[in-house]
Order: sequence, then structure tokens, then C-alpha cells
Amino acid sequence: MSSDVKSPTWKEAFIEPIIANNPVMIQVLGICSTLAVTGSMKTAFVMGLSVTAVTALSNAAVSYTRNYIPGSVRIIAQMTIIASLVILVDQILRAFAYDLSKQLSVYVGLIITNCIVMGRTEGFALKYPPLPSFMDGLGNGLGYMIVLCIIATFREIFGSGTWFGLTILPTVNNGGWYVPCGLLVMPPCGFFLVGLLIWAVKTYRKELIEPAEYDTHREDY
Amino acid sequence: MLKLNKDSVLGTFVIITGFCLVCSVLVSSAVVALDPFKAAAVANDRQVSILRVAGVETQGTVAQTYAAHIEAQLLDTTTGKIAADRQSEADGYNFASNASNPDLSVAIPAEEDIAGIRRHSTLMPIYFAKDADGNVTRVILPFYGAALWSTAYGYVAVGMDGNTIEAVTFYQHGETPGLGGEIDNPRWQALWVGKKIENADGELAFTIKKNAAHEGEQAAYEVDALSGATLTTNGIRHAAQYWLGTVYKPFLDQLRKGEFLK
Repeated sequence: MSSDVKSPTWKEAFIEPIIANNPVMIQVLGICSTLAVTGSMKTAFVMGLSVTAVTALSNAAVSYTRNYIPGSVRIIAQMTIIASLVILVDQILRAFAYDLSKQLSVYVGLIITNCIVMGRTEGFALKYPPLPSFMDGLGNGLGYMIVLCIIATFREIFGSGTWFGLTILPTVNNGGWYVPCGLLVMPPCGFFLVGLLIWAVKTYRKELIEPAEYDTHREDY
Repeated sequence: MLKLNKDSVLGTFVIITGFCLVCSVLVSSAVVALDPFKAAAVANDRQVSILRVAGVETQGTVAQTYAAHIEAQLLDTTTGKIAADRQSEADGYNFASNASNPDLSVAIPAEEDIAGIRRHSTLMPIYFAKDADGNVTRVILPFYGAALWSTAYGYVAVGMDGNTIEAVTFYQHGETPGLGGEIDNPRWQALWVGKKIENADGELAFTIKKNAAHEGEQAAYEVDALSGATLTTNGIRHAAQYWLGTVYKPFLDQLRKGEFLK
């Protein structure tokens, strides 16, 4: 029944998306929530955990059922699984982390539309067995979480003077000396930081730079 | 068993129906199973917010302190009287969802609607904070209004003279962290303490503004606005002025006259 192409081992599936094929920095997916929830470490961390749980479990579920999903409605079948898992995560947060779920508000529900989740089920889990698929989901979720936490660290320390709510730079509003950078707490700043991060990673690891689609030095242009 | 071709029309329908059934059972059982935990989380959150402005120390658990020091009542905003017969519903009365139900809410005339909320619940829960001897020390009034990005919900505690703000807190809003979100900053909320709602002529005088007076007559009524968050502060000012100056005025007037001593 199974016509699997040679599958990557679970280790490869797990390690690759963390840096070499990072969903945010290399595939540039899931940018919307990257901008929205990175104002503070707490929200970024919980969002990262939620996305990791959803990508890992939906990858595993899609992979288990990949030989039964009809090709014509496979996207719908995947969305059904993803949406159910996201509702589960949302309900669990509401029950056990009410404060955080208020801060994350709609963004937990919007994990459904996070391209990383759909991209991995469609691009990976439909082709490969459950274990590598689960690890691939875990790796992508962690890759997403790492980027979120790096950005949130910058934004929270320099934008609010705290890290995970702990005071790092006492702000003027609280009687300290640090005048927080207002720009950093606004979502567009997340964009700048993602850009800088991509630049830094690609400078350090030149093999990740995609070849240019055209050559600007060619005479015949 | 009949071998079903998964890509036939029938196969597609059968498999997708199966998927939907499994997923919906999973989701609905999770929602039902987690319901008590969610209700407890919401109640705990409300109790924490109310105790924050009640001026009582938390001894033991939040729920114990709340039960010992807080008494909820429903206030009929059309008459300014307590609806004592419905006291059992008062704690955690859902005034926010009532606002969209015409039977349970009143429309706010456009020219009065500075808070931008269009309708508000006819009955509002109010909370009496009692000290260790059972004397009422503050009345805690919920209020809300449209801020910059979101509707901000809060509680304001008013002293028994019916005119002095004793504390304020916000329990739900979606303002920008670090800018409008600074309405959560205890240092800013502390500026509200001791401000008077009405002046000696019985006119609404409480306001939040840039360069608020720190001395002289006006200092008793003015709170400094948050810098970098003008629109959020405007929304909060309008919400406070609308609720304290219009909705709760009949009730607060009774307090001011001392008619309401429990």
C-alpha cells in the first residue's frame, strides 16, 4: 500500500528545520504571528510551545492517515485535523493559563492559518511515515520557537526593560533610568528584527543564500 | 469487508465523514471536560481583580478572602437602586454579553455615548468591600469603554463618601504593551487614588489629561495622561467619565447623601 519515497531518519527530520531549513528564517513562513506575539517573552514562549504541539501532532496524525486521505480533498482533511488540534490547545490554555490566553487572544486560534503547520503536513507528513513526520513537526515548531524567543528577547528587554517579566533595565515609568524604545513594542519592529536575523544567519552560513534569479552584470539585459 | 476505493466519490464522502466525526467528538469532549476548569479560571481572575481594588489583604486563598470580604449586588442602572431580590445572580453577572441583548440592556443616546459602547446592561453587578468587622469600606464598580485597539474593562473602587476614587484596575484590554498597555502599571493606577469625581457644585470634574494640575484646586480631580498613549488614555477617560458621571450617578448620589449605609 505504502509507496513512500526514501524517508529521512527521525534525527535528520528533527535537526534540519531548526537552523538549516528554519521555517521563519529560511522558508519565511509564519511571519504574521512572529510579528504579533513577540512583544514579550511569555507570549512568545507559550505561542512557540503551542505551535510546536500543533505541528508535531498534526504531522503525526496526517502521516498515520496518509494512505486513507482522498487526494481530491486532502487539504480539507488536513485542515480538519489541524483545526481540531488548535481548538484543543486553545481550550487547554484557557483552562490552565487564563492570563496568557487573554494576552495571546486570537493568535492561538490563528495557528490554524499558520503556514508552517499546513506547509509541513502537505509537504512532509503526506509522504513519510509517522515517526519522522512527528519529529519534523517538532523540529519546525522548535525552529519557530527559537526565532520567536530571539526576537522577543530583544523586543522585551529594549522595549519594556524586562525579560520574562523580570526587570532587566529599570524604566523611567517605574522610577528607573531607562527610556524604553517605543518602536520596539510595535509589531513592525518584529519585521525589522526578522530581516536582520535572516541577514545574520545567511552571512554566517553562505550556503543558505539562494542563487540569484538573474545576473545583473550580463551585457544582454 | 468491501474494499473501498479512497479516491472514488463514495470513498471520499465516507472517509471525510469519518474524519469529521472523529474530530468533532474529540473537540466537543475536550470543551465539555475542560469547562469546570475554564469557569474556575475566569472566576479566579475576576476575584483577583476585585480584591486588588478592594483594599483588603489576601489571607489564605483568593476564594476564601473573596468570600469573607466581598458582597456582590445587582444595581438597576435605570433607578439607581439595588435589585436585592436578584442578589443570588450578582457575583460574576455577565453584563458584557447582556449589552448585545435588547431585552437586558439599554441604548445609550449617541450624544451621551462618549465611551463608544452603544448599549449597556440594565443591571450591573457592584461589589461591596467589607473590613474585618463587616463594615462596608468601598464600593467596587465595573466600567468599560472603547480605548485605542480594544474595549478596556476595569473596576474602580469608590469610597463611602460616594466621591473619592480609592483604587482602579483593568482586567481586560488589548492595548499596545509598553504604550497603552501601561494602564496596567500600578504606578499610574496609583495616581487615581484620592481623586474626586464631582466638584463642590455637583458637576463631573474627574479627568485624565496632559499636564494635569499637581497643586491648587484642580489637583483633586486630574490624573496625568500616559505619554505615548493619548488615544488609549482618551478612551479610559471617557469610560470613567461616562460610567461615574452618568450610569452610576444616581447610585453615587445616594452614597453622597449618606442614604446608603449598610
